Formats: sequence, C-alpha cells, structure tokens
Amino acid sequence: MTAAFSNNKESFKDSLLITKSYCKAMQLTDIKFSLSRAGSHLTPKLIRVMRLTTVLLLTACLHVSAKIEGQTVTLDFTNVPIQKVIDEASKQSGISIIYNETLFAGLSPVTVKLKDATIQDVLKACLKDQPFIYSFEGNLIVIKKEASSSAGLKPADSLASSSLPPPIDIRGRVSDSLGNPLAGASVSIKGSKRGTTTDANGNFTLVAVKDNTTLIISYTGYSSKQFKTGGKGEIAIFLNKSNSPLDEIQVIAYGTTTQRFSTGNISTVQAADIAKQPVNNPLLALEGRVPGLFITQGNGVPGSSVTVQIQGQNSLINGNNPFYVVDGVPYFAEMLSTFSSGFSNEVLGGNSGTNSSSVGSPLNFINPADIESITVLKDADATAIYGSRAANGAIIITTKKGKAGPTQVQIGLQTGWGTPASKLKMMNTEQYLTMRHEALKNDNDIPNSSRDYDILGLYGWDTTRSTDWQKVLIGGTAHFNNINATVSGGTGQTQFIVGGTYQNETSVFPGNFADKRGAIHFNINTTSPNQRFKFQFSGSYMNDDNHLPRHDLTATALSLAPTAPLLYNPDGTLNWALKNTGSSSWNNPLAYTIASFESKTDNLISSSQMSYRLLSGLDISANFGYAKLVSNTYIPYPLNFNAPQNIPYSLRIADYSYNTTSTWLIEPQLNYKKAFDFSKLELLLGGTFQQNTSEGQALEGTGYNSDVVLPDIRSASSISATSSLDLTYRYSAFFGRINYIVKDKFIFDLSGRRDGSSRFGTDNQFHNFGALGIAWIFSEEKFIRNNLTFLSFGKLRASYGTTGSDQIGDYTYLNLYNPVAISPIVPYQGQLGIEPLSLPNPHLQWEETKKLQGGLELGFIKDRIFLVANYIVNRTSNQLLYFPLPIVTGFTSISSNLPATVQNTAWELVLNTVNIKSGDFIWKTNFNITIPNNKLVAYPDLATSPYADIYTIGKPINITKAFHFLGVDPATGIYEFADHTGHATKTPDYTVDRTVDINNFPSFYGGLLNTFNYKGFELDIFFQFTDRYQPNTFGGIPGGTPGLRRLNQPVTVLGRWEKQGDITSIQRFSTMLSPNAPSLIEQYGDLQSSDAGITSSFYVRLKNISLSYQVPVKFMQEHHLQSCQLFIHAQNLLTFTNFNGLDPETGNGVLPPMKVVTVGIQLGL
Amino acid sequence: MFTSNVKIMRLNKFIKLLLAFIIFLFSACQKFISVAPPVTSITSTSAYASDATAAAVLTGIYTDISGTLSTSVNKFRFLSLYAGLSADEFTLWTNITDNQGLLYYTNALISSPNLTVGGDFWSSLYPYIFTCNSAVEGLNQPATLTPAVRKQLLGEAKFMRALFYFYLVNLYGDVPLALGSDYEVNRKLPRSPSAEVYKQIILDLQSADSLLSPEYLDGSLLSTTSERVRPTQAAATALLARVYLYMGDWVNAEASATAVISNPAYSLETDLNSVFLSNNNEAIWQLQPVIFGDNTEEARIFIIPPTGPSDDFYTNPVYLSKNQLAAFEPNDNRRVNWVDSSIVSNDTFYYPYKYKVNAIGSPVTEYLTVLRLAEQYLIRAEARTQQNEIIGAQIDINAIRSRAGLQNTIASDQSSLLTAILHERQVELFTEWGHRWLDLKRAGTVNSVMSIVTPQKGGTWNTNWQWYPLPYSDLQNAPQLKQNSGY
Repeated sequence: MTAAFSNNKESFKDSLLITKSYCKAMQLTDIKFSLSRAGSHLTPKLIRVMRLTTVLLLTACLHVSAKIEGQTVTLDFTNVPIQKVIDEASKQSGISIIYNETLFAGLSPVTVKLKDATIQDVLKACLKDQPFIYSFEGNLIVIKKEASSSAGLKPADSLASSSLPPPIDIRGRVSDSLGNPLAGASVSIKGSKRGTTTDANGNFTLVAVKDNTTLIISYTGYSSKQFKTGGKGEIAIFLNKSNSPLDEIQVIAYGTTTQRFSTGNISTVQAADIAKQPVNNPLLALEGRVPGLFITQGNGVPGSSVTVQIQGQNSLINGNNPFYVVDGVPYFAEMLSTFSSGFSNEVLGGNSGTNSSSVGSPLNFINPADIESITVLKDADATAIYGSRAANGAIIITTKKGKAGPTQVQIGLQTGWGTPASKLKMMNTEQYLTMRHEALKNDNDIPNSSRDYDILGLYGWDTTRSTDWQKVLIGGTAHFNNINATVSGGTGQTQFIVGGTYQNETSVFPGNFADKRGAIHFNINTTSPNQRFKFQFSGSYMNDDNHLPRHDLTATALSLAPTAPLLYNPDGTLNWALKNTGSSSWNNPLAYTIASFESKTDNLISSSQMSYRLLSGLDISANFGYAKLVSNTYIPYPLNFNAPQNIPYSLRIADYSYNTTSTWLIEPQLNYKKAFDFSKLELLLGGTFQQNTSEGQALEGTGYNSDVVLPDIRSASSISATSSLDLTYRYSAFFGRINYIVKDKFIFDLSGRRDGSSRFGTDNQFHNFGALGIAWIFSEEKFIRNNLTFLSFGKLRASYGTTGSDQIGDYTYLNLYNPVAISPIVPYQGQLGIEPLSLPNPHLQWEETKKLQGGLELGFIKDRIFLVANYIVNRTSNQLLYFPLPIVTGFTSISSNLPATVQNTAWELVLNTVNIKSGDFIWKTNFNITIPNNKLVAYPDLATSPYADIYTIGKPINITKAFHFLGVDPATGIYEFADHTGHATKTPDYTVDRTVDINNFPSFYGGLLNTFNYKGFELDIFFQFTDRYQPNTFGGIPGGTPGLRRLNQPVTVLGRWEKQGDITSIQRFSTMLSPNAPSLIEQYGDLQSSDAGITSSFYVRLKNISLSYQVPVKFMQEHHLQSCQLFIHAQNLLTFTNFNGLDPETGNGVLPPMKVVTVGIQLGL
Repeated sequence: MFTSNVKIMRLNKFIKLLLAFIIFLFSACQKFISVAPPVTSITSTSAYASDATAAAVLTGIYTDISGTLSTSVNKFRFLSLYAGLSADEFTLWTNITDNQGLLYYTNALISSPNLTVGGDFWSSLYPYIFTCNSAVEGLNQPATLTPAVRKQLLGEAKFMRALFYFYLVNLYGDVPLALGSDYEVNRKLPRSPSAEVYKQIILDLQSADSLLSPEYLDGSLLSTTSERVRPTQAAATALLARVYLYMGDWVNAEASATAVISNPAYSLETDLNSVFLSNNNEAIWQLQPVIFGDNTEEARIFIIPPTGPSDDFYTNPVYLSKNQLAAFEPNDNRRVNWVDSSIVSNDTFYYPYKYKVNAIGSPVTEYLTVLRLAEQYLIRAEARTQQNEIIGAQIDINAIRSRAGLQNTIASDQSSLLTAILHERQVELFTEWGHRWLDLKRAGTVNSVMSIVTPQKGGTWNTNWQWYPLPYSDLQNAPQLKQNSGY
C-alpha cells in the first residue's frame, strides 16, 4: 500500500514517505507481508490490484501504515521534530499517515502534550500555522503542502462537525488503492448536475459546494465510490479495482479500455483459460470461445496449420487472414514456403490464405504459457486504427508483464498422453474379401494374379490377417511433457518477469518423432522517478525442433487393405512385398518415415514502448517492434525410400531450405488526455512505419554416396537451388483517434487514417479509412436506474467504418522474370534460363470493407446475468484477388480488383451467468453462439465471367454446386441423380444438372463453458459446437469405387446394392477398371459432387475439461509455498456428431485433432 | 492554478508540436512506401536490355521443355507418350489405374469440373507462346542488344511460336491465335480457323528462316558450336517443310525439304544406333538434357526393366503395341536396333529402344531429338509423290529403307507410294513427338484405323476423339471458347 501524490505539479521529484505506526520503514517489495499483517481481509484484493496495475508506481522509498479505527493517543513531547510526533501518533493509533519525507525539513521543532486525544487533535496541534493541509480518508491520513500559498490552514475547522455548514471548496485527489493517481476519474455531486474530472495527477477541485454533500467518484476499471464530504475540504479518495468483468482491462489497438466503456465489438480470452488447454498453438485455445471467430485446425499433427476467420469470409478468394499483433508488433499470419511443389511437406497441411503453398502456422511459435491475454477485435471501430492490415479483424496477443511485489517463482510441470480424437470404422478382412469378390463377380471377372493379389494372398498379402491400419499407422500414443518456470517481481519503479518453457510432444506415427520446443520470455518496465519517462521492453524467443514423417499417414491408414503385407521383413528392413517380377506390390507407408521432415524454427519477438510526458496530459511515445522467424527445414530421401525396382534409377536426394521472415515497426505517437466537467477527452495521433522482409532459399543436393551423409550438403555431388525468395513489403500509415466520454454515459470514438502499401502501383498506394463508434450506457440514466432496479448495466453501441486490405502478393504490379525452376539442373548450354513470373497489374487498388455493427449489453441482478448481443453487417467490395484467366493468356490468373461485393452478416450472442453463489460454491456458465450468413451481393456481369459457374448472386461465396442424389437404381445398382428437369439420370451433365447449392460456411458455431468452484477445487467443462457441411466419406478420402482393388472402405458401404430390387444408397461394388463391365467411376465421381458427398455435419465436442485443486493454505505454509495447484486437463475428450467420416472438424484425409489428457502441478515459491 | 498567459503559451506549444508531428509523419509516410524489385527476379525491361538475359528467356523455354517428365506443368514432353497412347503405338500396362494414362489410352478424354484429361498440351503450350510473344515484343523495342543476337533471338522466338502452334492446331483443331502479351486481348480471343493458324505459322517460320543463323550457336549467341541444341535456319526450313506438307503445299514442301537435305551439314547416319546420339549428323535440332544424372527421360520411361512394367504411370507404364510391332517388315534393322524387349515371368514386353541410356548417372551421350533429317526425306518423298514425281519420291523413300537394311520400295504409283510413305513414317518415326497420331489424322485414315484399335484398347472410337478436348478451366474462364464436339 503506497501513496504517491502531490498537488503541486513540480513536486514530483520529492519522494514521499509513509510512516508506519509499529514497524520500521519497509520497502515496497514487502508490501504483501505488511498488508497481510495489518489487514488480512485486504490482501487478495490488493494483490490482484498490483497484478493488474501497469501504471508505474511513483516512489522509490515508501513507508506503509495500517489502519485501526477509533484509537486515541497520548503524547508528551517537547521541542521535537514534527516528524517524530506524527510517527508516534501513528504508532499509537495504528492509523497510517502519509507524507513526503522532506515535507517538514527546515521547520522548527514543536511541543505537544495531549492525553487520549484523537489523531485529528494531534495534527491540529502539530501543524498549526504551518502551510500544510491533510486529508483523512478511511485508512489513511495524507499530509501535504497546501496547493495555494495564499491559503491558510483549514483542516482544523473543516474537520470539526458543524450543524449548518457554509458552502465550501472541495479539493481532492483520487488514487487507486496503491496510491497511484487516477487521471480522468469523474467526480460528480449526488443529486446535482455538477461534477468534474480529475487531472493528470488525480486532483480535482469543486468550488462552492454545499457541505455534507455526497460525491460520486468513478473511474474506468474501478468500483465507483460514494463519499460524504462531511465538512471536509481536502479529501483523498481511494478506489478499488472493480470485481465486475465489465471493468476488466481490454487491450485495444494502441491502448486499453474496459468492456464498460468500449464502443467496439471486442472479446478477450485470459491467460487462465489458455493455461487450461494443452495446445501448441495459442489459436487453438480460442476455438469456440469467441463469438464471431471461426477456427479450424488443419490436422492433429503438432505444428500444423490453423485457419482463422473473424466474422466470415470477406474476400472472395484470398486475403482472409486476420491481423496478428504480439505486444504491439505485427506478427506473421502465414509461413513462408520456398519449396517447389514436388517437395513440399504435406504433413502440416496447407493454408487457406494468400500463400496457399505455405504450410504450418507461425502462431505455433508463440508459447501459450507466455500469453497474458488474447483480444479479438472485430468491428470497424475496434480495428480501424489498425487500418488496412486489420480488415479481417485483429488478434492482439499480450504477453505476461512484470508486476510489483516480492519476487515470486512459479513452476509448472505437466505430463500427458495424446491419441487421435476420432477413428473411422473400416472393413476387416472378412468384409473386405466379401466386397472384393463381389466386385469381381459384378464385373464378370475372376481374380487375376497380376492385380488381385490382395485377395489371393500372394507376395506377402495375407487373407488370414486383418490389420487395423489406423491402429498401426496413427494409433500410437503421443507423449506430452511440459515444464515451465517464471520469476517475477519488482519495485514501484521497475518490474520484471522472466519465464522459460520446455515442451516435448511425440507423435502418434510409428517411429521416433517429436516436436520439441524451448522458449524464454522476459519483460521489464521502468519509470523515471518523476514519472515522466516510461519504458517497457518485452522479448520472447522460441526454438522449435519438429521432426515428423514427411507424409501424414492417415489417408494411407484409411485406404490400405486389411490384407496388406507386413511393414517389416524379419531382418528389420522395409517389406516391399516383391512380386515374382521383382517389383513391389505395394508402397510401404513407412517409406515416408524414412523420408522424414525436420524443421528447426527460431522465433524472436521483441518490442519496446517508451513515452515521455511533455506537458500535463500530453505524452509523446513510440513503439518499436522487431520480430524474426527463421526456419530451417531438412528433408532427406535416402535410397531405400524408393521401391527396390526403382533404386537403380534413383539418386539420394536431400532438400534443405532456409527461410527468414522479419518485420520491424516504428510507431511514433502523441497522446493527449483532458478531463472537463462531466467529460473526458482522449486524443491519439500517430504514424506507423512497418517493413516486412522475407528471404529464403531451398537447396537440393543429389547424388550422395551414402544415406549417412545426407544431412551434409557438401556430400552431394550436385547441388542446385530449387528456389529463392526475396520479398520486401512496406506499409505506412498516419492515424488519429478521438475518444470522448460524457458523464460516463455517452461514449464517442472517432478514428481516421491514411494508409500506404508498397503492394500497389504508384497511383494507388494510399487510401483513407475511418470509423465512428458510439455507445450509450443507458443504465446510468436516472429513470432507468430508479425504475428498472434489476438492470445493473445496460449499454447500446453502434459502429460504422471502413477498412481495407492489401493482402495480395508483393510486386504484382511489376513485370518480372525468374529463373526456370528445374532441379537438379544442368544449365542449358551453360546458361540458366529465365521465364516470366506472372502477369503484372500496375492498376491494383485497395480492397475496401465497410463494417456496420450494433451491440446491446445488459447486466441483471448486479451483473450476475450478463448478455451481449451483436449484429454485424460487413460488406467488402473492390475485391482483391487473382482473377482467373484462360491459359491462352499464358497464365491462369492475374492479380486484380473485382467489382464484386460480398456481405457477411451475423448474430453474435454471449450469455454469462452466475447460477449459484452460495458460500464456498460457485457455478458460472458462459455461453456464446454465432449465426453467420454470407452472400454475394453484387457482381456485374457474373453470367459472362469466369465465376459464372462458381458463384450465384444472393448465395454464399463458397457454395458448392452439386447434383441432387436420388439413390441407387434398384434395377442396375448404379447411382442416379436428378437432372435439371427433375428426372433420374445416371450421367448428369455438369453444365446444367448441378441444381443444389451447398453452403460450406458454418450455419452456426459457439461454445458452452461451465465453471464450478468449491473451496480449492475448480472444474471447467467446455463444449464447442459447429454446424456445417463437410465432404463425408464419399466426398473425401477414403475414395474410389468400393470394390476397387487394394483399397479398403468404411463398413458403411456394406449396405450396398447386391441384387435387383435392392433399395439402398450405395451402388454395387465394382473393381472400376474391368474390361468386362461398364466402369462405374463416373457415377462414383458424380456422387462425390452430389449432395450425398457433402453432407451436414453437426458436432459437439467436449473440447476441454479442467479440474484443478488449490492446496489449503495451511499445507502451503508448512511447506513454505506461496501457492500450490494440482490439475488435470483434457482436450478433445469426446465428440458427438452425425458426420459420416473420420472427424467432423478436420474431415477425412488428415490426422484428426489430438485427444490429450495431461496432469500437472503448479507451484509458487 | 495557471494564468491565462501560461495556458495560451501551453496551447501554442501544443499546436506547434502537433503540427510538426503531423508534417513529419505525412511526408515520411509518403516517402517510405517504395521498394526496389526483388533480387530474385529481373524486370522485363532489364531482361531485354542485355544479350545474356535476352538469350536466357529463350534458353528458359528449351530448358523447360527438356526438363523432367515428372513436373506437373510441362506436359509438352508427354507428347510422345500420350499421342502414342491415343494412337496405336503403345499398349498400356494392365495394372495402370491412373486416369491420365487410361483415358488417353482408351480415347475417352474428359473435360469436366472435377476431371479434366486431354487439355495438357493446350495448358503447357500457351504459356510458352506467351513467353515467345513477350520476347518478340521485348526484342522489338529499341534496345542495347548486339544486332546479331537480337536477330537470332527474334528468329528463335518466332520459330518456337510456330512449333507450338503447329502442335496446338494438330491436337486441338481451331485454336485462339495469341500473338501479343496483352491478357485483356488474349482472354477474349475466339478460336481461329486452323487455316489462319497455319498462315501465321508460315509467316513466323519464313521470318525465322531469314533471321536465324545458319550455324549452330553457343549460349552467347556470338560464336558457333558443334552442339545442335539451338534452332538454326535449317531448323526453321525443316519445320517449314513439314508445315507445307501438312497444308498440302507440295511445291514448297519439296523445296524446303530439298534445302535441308542438300545442306552439307546434314546427312543420314548409316548406323541406326547413332541417330539419337548427341550432335549426330542427322540431327537438325536437339534438346540438351538438363536434369543432373539423366540422358533422356524417353529412355527412362520407355525401357522396361527386368521387373516389368510399373503400376506407376510415371515410371514404366507402356510397351509397344502389337500393331506397331507388326508394322515392321521382316529384316527391318529398325525392329532390331530401335526395339528391345524384357522378358518378365514368361511375358515379353517390347519397348522403343531409340534412346538407350536409362541408367542414372551415366555419361550424357544422347540428346532428345526434335527435328532430324530422315523426316525431311519422307516429307520430300510425299511431296514429290503428290506432284507425281514418282522416281524422285522412290529415291527419297529408298534412302530411308536402305539405311534400315531393306530392299527398295516396290510401290510405283502415286497411291501405293503414299501408302508406302505413310507406312515408312510409322516405322521410322514411331514414338517420336506424336508423328503417328498426327499422320493418321492428316492422311484421313484415323477413323478406319482407330475404329479397330480403340476397341482393342478397351474403348469406343468416335471421329470426335481425334481432337483432344480443351481444358475445362479455359471454357470457364473464357466463355467465348467452345469445346470440341463430343466432349
């Protein structure tokens, strides 16, 4: 508990002193101890306040006093310094008295003789005729120099109660419970229209106020307080941090706010919720928790890609990535890819962003344990200040910051086990043989030893064995181990945190594969003693070493026949099941574990903010940021990766790629804060200079003489560069924001900016954007407060604004030639050829998104029931995309602006309730749901455009036009579809018969979280749900006509047509390629493109269960622990779905999300 | 607390600061946004500003064509394989389930949104044509190139453009005639009648004929070399002879072929095993292998290893058909030297053995031959027959036959000679650049031959199938383009 103030603006350099009645001066670092002794009921609140306070504390040397009411003192001093008298009075009374230690310097000694006097009497006696005033507020007495030198000493009179007091001037100061001044706090007189706000030092003055009035003091993030003046002219008011979630700090672009005063559509996920989920990628911790945010995991492989969409898909084809900001530094949305298509590493899954050849997600390289909060900004008001970069919303990641207090050590240990969350029921050997023989029979064929060895049991194929390939290839248990430690602490002026994490996660694939990562994070904050200069520096570094098979074996596991050969020969080598000709009869899937994938990534993110107070309320500041992602990938192709018959024609190959992406950022800013009567104004003016550079090269070595030397490129007899990359992107912006709050009731937020991007030709580089947000906290209105008492909070808000997008490749305005990509190349006549890279478009312009959003927030019964409803309308026009061209032009597309308009509307609802709060038991529920709707609003001349076949005006932009499936013709056993006239046909025409539009966007999604607290126990149960269309087992892998040789099928196909008259939805088995029967491949393909191939899949996933137990205080004290928590976390434990395929989230051909269960302990030392 | 003076001073200070801040940011933002082109690329302007980079544009095309078969983009190199499958030259290995191979083989190509097979050459040749067009435009701009280099490169670009259009018009029929690099023009082009396309091919080849160097040039284009891997005047003349023949312009076909045959740089190799060696006397234009460790992909794909054909379409998917084997007369040395076999568990697979080096890492001794002298003899024989120069025609055809160890032809009238020439082409030019497929269509025998062959391959013949389908994406992206009938 510290205090820091002065009413004289120039006196900051004087440090303050607080005496403590019964103990020696204590350093700030001891606050917690002293508080717990002086008033233990305050402890939790204060500790929390300290954690949340980012404002730096003012003084270096502070002394603390505690409060005991109603004490009297007896003093007998002669000619002693004032200080001594006051210290003694404080000691006897137990009342804290705060003053500057130089305050009494140079004053003559005093003589005080009092018996059983009140503390007021003591002060009156001591400070008589001295230029000091003091104020008395609850637990503290504050002594300071009088503001105006002309003013005399008043406290003696004002403290005395009077029955008919004259109007007085009230001067006061508003601080938080640690004594930090609260600037811009509103002070109003109850029952009158008068009021004011505090200045930068927390001071306010109200002139000629009736005495004994009640003041209402409120401040963002703090509980409001009513204060009876009681004749006091000088008052100090200490506000406590609010407990309401409404007042939790929300990070916004270039600042913070709270849900109470926010005009934008913002959601925040806190560290505690992230920590409960054993995930590698922090984005995965957001799944289902944020309305309007739709996240899908590429696959369950550690390090895989994640697709993120905020409020739907704005851009027709590319550029739908949100803007990621880590501690103020723009972060990469996509990984670089410099591999040519032949050697890309498919195990991590592709991205759906601008660069479709990139794999993985850069967010994998941010340690979830280092994150304090993730804020999702959705509407124009919230994102406009980020401008074009945030057209698709912004995700702001704030890492943990140091907090003042005694040095604390936190250690977390976690270990767990993972398996794929879903499994598809495939045929066993008996069923498989039935299918294959029936298929041959249907085709009037008999088994042929050259191709039907899978059912003849030749060459190692075994009809007596029934292998569950999912168990063999993806059925392993991934081990998850995580150790995490942080040290944090600091004084009022400087705080720090340093944390380290090591994590090892093995894979479910056969073989020795793992993703290992080590991360460190640190942050330091400091403030100059006069509080004018503030500095913050944060850094995170992660080293990730990911070793995986090159190929996700899931698709193979689903397609291999149960009779397929053993993986290994008795001698331990790969079994290629050679035919009598000497060529292999199958592709051994473990070849991909030999041709493995090793990726080492280093990620550094550092940022610093510094600010200097030029004048009262006016700060000049700058953010500096630098992030660098370095990724080295190595993929070897040893000789035995090849089937034996191919070895004589194969060389040993190894691919090495080195990629570096870095970004730097400088953002100078001017901030101005001014408080008026009843209103507050904040101005922000700033600029952004950002540069992204990407460099990379991929080298391929060929012709090594041994597998052992593959890691060393010098052992290659030929080396060629398969690709190289050099991209520079620059972005600059000039922006301003005005935030104006009237009477804590009306909030206006206006922002504008001018953005420039190097991605456009010189004529179109710059564009202006702007946004306006307004909010009305109607629950502050008197008539509502008086008449609707059950309504504790009510806010209406609306925002409208424009943002843009430049998410298209770099240099598309330039006509460029690149070297011909052939590897390993022998230069033609000693010369390297070049070829045109793409069609240039110097006329590219910004894509523009207009966002209109409205929200209603209602709190009932002291916010125990809290409802937030948002309705959004976003329209994106001047679509930036790669416009498809006939190849006759030389290329399949050109970067272009398309005059199409896409509209996303959605309802986003959040309902938070505290269902039970009795004694030790608390049950809380958080529910959110998003109901999106996407449609193409306008597209001039769609019918004659390349998109005529893809889009329909008024329909969502990712519809699939599909045939309508009618079933199986009972007479022939062949699939039938409806043609455009509604008649059944076995050969539907693509141009006219695709009559069904399937919307591939989710129709709704959301999450339900129940939290139960009982004593030290906390139980979280979180369900995530999504309803969308997905290609099922027919639309995806496993594919191929049931009956095709060597291809297993799900057991569901057993309901097939067998004989004339059968009514079923599975066509007859066929080997597809028999000369004696018509091929059914076309009908099978049509099925995949029909409404039977893509079906509605609703799923509810028990995404997370977390049970934790806080060990009792007694135990901790005995073992000298600050905290001790035991926990069990489980991710993706159960899935309920009607999806007819492997997994409703990731689909069919890829590894499903991991079901992970971890146990752990978190210790505070 | 403050006097009004102080307030005004503060305000002034504040406004000044604000203005300075705004001006600084505004001007800085404007200047900041300009980036240099990436070091990994060069701009089109600089590409045609120096001899070396301008030459690299054409070299890029040769490199790409000569590149590996396994790249998905470059399907031009698949011509010998695909056209051979479409015609009667190859039998597809029974275990191949790959759509690409199967649909070409059974003459059942498809062009639909979810499956499109047959547009491969269209899709790979137009990008090359774009490069040629850009090169012609770039080279025609006032530039600092050495005149001789500029002249040669213009000739190469026009020669290559003619070559590409020749194959397009013979595989797809009428095709759009893109002659510039403006995509706004090209995307709206309709299909031009093939006669117009041929007219353009002739114009380009005549122009190339006058521009190209008579000597083989090295990579610098300034000195001569023995490497026959860049187009020369003779290449243009040779292709011109072929195009005139296809157009039925017998006089010019004969004249052009004569020009090549009488060129002392070329003579028929007496040893059949030398015909596909690098820089042999018969070669008019070859492509240098560009893949490290490889000779030709032809050898790699066609030669059946002792383990037999491969189930993988991209490895060893085909062997010579019975039709092709039956076409050889007894004692034809080409049957001996250009065909070999592998015996795999009692089955004998015969395969083309023109290119013989398939082992990886062997010294490079064979180049992929695009134009060779033997074809010129056969062109002239046909052109002379059409003009009733029977004796001249017999001399030409016998030149080819005697090299193969065969007796002189017994055909002595126009119609029997035409049949003999067509047959001679079948056994001389088999599995080379789709000659057989093109000849069948040109001679009008495609329906009579294929209506027998296609059912043998497991398909159904229809006269529509002689034209490959346009890729579906182009029909979608350029609605004015109409699909070939039957698809």
